[in-house]
Amino acid sequence: MEQERKTEKLLEVKDLQVSFFTPAGEVKAVNGISYDLNYNEVMGIVGESGSGKSVEAYSIIGLLQSPGKVVGGSITLEGEDVLAKTASEMVNFRGSQVAMIFQNPMTCLNPVYTIGNQLTEALRAHNKEISKEEAAKRAMEMLEQVGINNVEKRMGQYPHELSGGMRQRVMIAMGLICHPKLLIADEPTTALDVTIQAQILELMKELQKKNHMGIVFITHNLGVVAEICDKVSVMYAGKMVEQGSVDDIFYNPGHPYTKGLLRSMPRVDAESYERLIPIEGTPVDMLNPPEGCPFAPRCEHTMKVCLQKMPPYVNMGREHRAACWLRIQEEMKNRQEESETEGSENE
Amino acid sequence: MAETKKYNKVGSLQPNIDDIMDWNSLPENAFEPATESEKESFIQDRENVSYWKDAWRRLRKNTVAMVALVVIVLLVIFAFVGPQVVPYSYKEQIRGSETLDPWHYTLEDQQKINDYIEKHSGSKVLSVEEAIEQARAEAEAKGEKLTRVEEAKIRASANVSKQSSEETEMTAQQAAKELGVKAKIFGYSNRELQKIAEGEKVFPHIFGTDDQGRDIMVRVMVGARVSIIVGICAAILVLIIGAVYGSISGYCGGMVDNVMQRIVEIIYSIPEMLIILLLSATLKPALEQFQNSGDGVVQSLVTLLGPNLISMFIAFGLLYWVTMSRIIRGQILQLKQQEYVTAARALGAKGSRIIWRHLLPNCVGQIVTTTFLQIPSAIFLESFLSFVGVGVSAPLTSLGSMCSEALSGLTSYPYRLFIPAAILSVLILSLNLFGDGLRDALDPRLKK
Amino acid sequence: MTKYMVRRVIMAIVTLAVVACTTFFLMNAIPGNPWLSEKTPTQATIDALNAKYGLDQPLIVQLGKYLGNLIQGDFGTSIKMQKNRPVLQIILEMFPVSAKVGILAIVWAVLAGVPLGCLAAYKRGTWIDSFLRIVCTIGISMPGFVVATLLLHTLCGGIAGVKLFPALFDGTPASYVLPCIALGFYPMCYLSRQTRTAMLDSINQEYIKTARAKGLKNGVIIFKHALRNALIPVITYLGPQVAFTLCGGLVVETVFSIPGLGRYFIQSIQNRDYPLIMGTTIFLAAFIIVMNLLVDVCYKIVDPRINLTRGN
Repeated sequence: MEQERKTEKLLEVKDLQVSFFTPAGEVKAVNGISYDLNYNEVMGIVGESGSGKSVEAYSIIGLLQSPGKVVGGSITLEGEDVLAKTASEMVNFRGSQVAMIFQNPMTCLNPVYTIGNQLTEALRAHNKEISKEEAAKRAMEMLEQVGINNVEKRMGQYPHELSGGMRQRVMIAMGLICHPKLLIADEPTTALDVTIQAQILELMKELQKKNHMGIVFITHNLGVVAEICDKVSVMYAGKMVEQGSVDDIFYNPGHPYTKGLLRSMPRVDAESYERLIPIEGTPVDMLNPPEGCPFAPRCEHTMKVCLQKMPPYVNMGREHRAACWLRIQEEMKNRQEESETEGSENE
Repeated sequence: MAETKKYNKVGSLQPNIDDIMDWNSLPENAFEPATESEKESFIQDRENVSYWKDAWRRLRKNTVAMVALVVIVLLVIFAFVGPQVVPYSYKEQIRGSETLDPWHYTLEDQQKINDYIEKHSGSKVLSVEEAIEQARAEAEAKGEKLTRVEEAKIRASANVSKQSSEETEMTAQQAAKELGVKAKIFGYSNRELQKIAEGEKVFPHIFGTDDQGRDIMVRVMVGARVSIIVGICAAILVLIIGAVYGSISGYCGGMVDNVMQRIVEIIYSIPEMLIILLLSATLKPALEQFQNSGDGVVQSLVTLLGPNLISMFIAFGLLYWVTMSRIIRGQILQLKQQEYVTAARALGAKGSRIIWRHLLPNCVGQIVTTTFLQIPSAIFLESFLSFVGVGVSAPLTSLGSMCSEALSGLTSYPYRLFIPAAILSVLILSLNLFGDGLRDALDPRLKK
Repeated sequence: MTKYMVRRVIMAIVTLAVVACTTFFLMNAIPGNPWLSEKTPTQATIDALNAKYGLDQPLIVQLGKYLGNLIQGDFGTSIKMQKNRPVLQIILEMFPVSAKVGILAIVWAVLAGVPLGCLAAYKRGTWIDSFLRIVCTIGISMPGFVVATLLLHTLCGGIAGVKLFPALFDGTPASYVLPCIALGFYPMCYLSRQTRTAMLDSINQEYIKTARAKGLKNGVIIFKHALRNALIPVITYLGPQVAFTLCGGLVVETVFSIPGLGRYFIQSIQNRDYPLIMGTTIFLAAFIIVMNLLVDVCYKIVDPRINLTRGN
């Protein structure tokens, strides 16, 4: 059973397209991204601000706000079409099947209700029969699980009385209290101190193993990705430019943007004379995205074809693919060589 | 290399076959490096929209605000151009055209109505004007002139008889209704109707006239003008005092700010309406005395504005800048932390220069909105004071004081109150709506 | 919390003192004297009257005496309207009627305004929202006397056949209806607008996103999470609205001929009854300042973020 579940797909996102209909025109925030996520896997979605990674996550859980709208593609969770659900089905779906935790624990908890109130509320929303006492007990267990001590006192406290790290733990407890199959974490560690960050990541890893859930982990920090993720998708300007396992991405990056990201990341093992290299330029205007590769203007290897046509994906490994003309060029060369050698063999 | 190929067909995330087939159709030079100029022309930069252009674009999309703007413009034309077009003055008492309704019956219709009433009630009913005309004719026959006192007496008795006859006998309106005679719009006195019949051109009293024969429309125009001017002046006054106070307080900080903020807090919790009432009530005699003390420029200014208006401005200047100063102080405190101010200071810019060149331009959106919304609130307050009797005083008039004057005759002449009241409300409403639109357009937090 | 309260009370007292002094000096800045408008009395009579009311002493002495008397609850005696009656007595006789109308007005303004604001925010972007927004903007754009006279004219016999309420105030419940509606209309619209803004502000907060992610129903999100947060700032608007209603009472009482303090205040201004004007101003100001104080304290109590003593 366990084995079977492991290989089964938990989440399948196919050619998802999300647009924002602003007064100035249609902004294609997410423009055709696809990925699979299995049980017990953590998928990191990496990209700079405005690359569409949060929008993509919001559309999974149905939190897209007007003027945002899913205009194409499909999202399937455990074989169920998420986009086909009605509004009231989505209400039940959120929290019980998929949970989400957000970037800033300071503003994400309601300041005027106690921690206990907000935790039990989540539980009681999906389980009408549960009694208040039972819910409180479950909430306290959950708080203990996320490493909060003195839970009885915490239950009666207001968010402002807790520290940032503690609040993020509460947020995680709140997300996991209904045992969702998928957790979406939208930069959950960005607003925290580095030491707290490590603790929270550790906690999330631990809970993920325990509950066999999948996590979609959104971040712009490759260090965090290395820490927690199994797979990585790199997003740029609403498009997925590279996807692969953590090892693929870190040791064999196929897209110049991924390479740039890696070079701009501080590393402990770096030689002292190595400089951090920022990626020059700013992202393209999403309102009128040009034909061709959106990264072309910032790329150091730009070719003529880059400016004319969006490159298709090239497989670079078992689950590793990238969308870059450089890789295609390589691939074509390889094929040519192959056919030549094959041809000579045949002769 | 062969290894790469082996994985080609694994997994669901297959590259599109068509795309791969397309590779062969790529142009020869596809994989040559692109030139810098090619790269540059690739980025279609969004037209760099300036703050004001962007705000204007959003404002223009706001239908309600645009309609409000049109109404404001129309009202301004009404108030400022109108009095030039209408041949009457707001002080002019037109003899023979007193208490005209904003509608009239033609002379023939009047005859018909009178005949009808006569037939039904048996006695000849003279309209007020006719009674006066008759009395005047009689007096002239005797070689005398009809005095105003006598005229007023006839009027009063006519009013009494009109009221007493209302229950037992039919009114002109009832008669007109039964006859099917329709009143024509605009007020004309019989004498004016006569003139028209003789081929002269007479400007109608579109809203009728009041007891003293003053054209109501001109008075409404002038009243609206006074209200608008009061609103704008008050807003400018508030802006200046608030901006100066707020920027000094915010910029200096420390002890100065502390003391200044305590003062603001006190003024803030003073019930300003009471103080304004008090000011208007007490400053009036003092200003009147000053007004009579000489012929200097200041004195004539006081005479021009009237003591009540001045005390109102004093009250605005003393009390109403508090909100504005708070907003500006808040903005400045926020902006003070920002780097470009530090940079300006490091370059040796003086304090006043920093305020004017760097700080104020950045809070201009909020300042414009607050200032603009001050106009309707000042008009609102002015009308309140005028209505209570401590606002704009005769001979000048404002919409509020017109309403106040009309209150006593509300049952007989409701339109005398409701016309200026409607204009006043529409004016304030459209200013508020446009102000709201302005706020939405200028608030950078809403900018996406 | 205690520190805040103490500071707030001190500020209130200072404000009151400022109002009292302002009132006093303004009254003394009036040229001439209160006796002039009657048939011109002789100089001897004026002197005698001045001596009787202490108007012949130096200003600062008069001020000191006045403030001293105020603290003891002595507001002086009326010199015109109701000769020789203590001002406080007159005020206390007149105020209950005004207070009744004012309280009813505020109560209906809150009961109608806040839910309407919520409704507008909940249905934002729909025709209900647009309709309420326009009505409320009209409401804050119509001066009190316009609303009052409109009601008086239309519902009290101005239009043939429609006479739902008595035109003259006679103390019966029916005669309270129109003044309260007229007086409460502006605060109602104002509160509704502010509630809508506060609700929308609250709805855009991140904790609402959390609540949605938790899978709460829309109603729970709006009425539990957004409303509680939105109501806290709305409380702060109540203080100024109390003041506004009291002052609006001046007009409404005049239009409906209600024998309240407001109408009397206007009359005393017109009659230059100085002690009465001073007394009424200070009384009303004190009332408003105390109301503001109470509202501020309520605000601090309701908002748990401020209450730092808890849980420590």
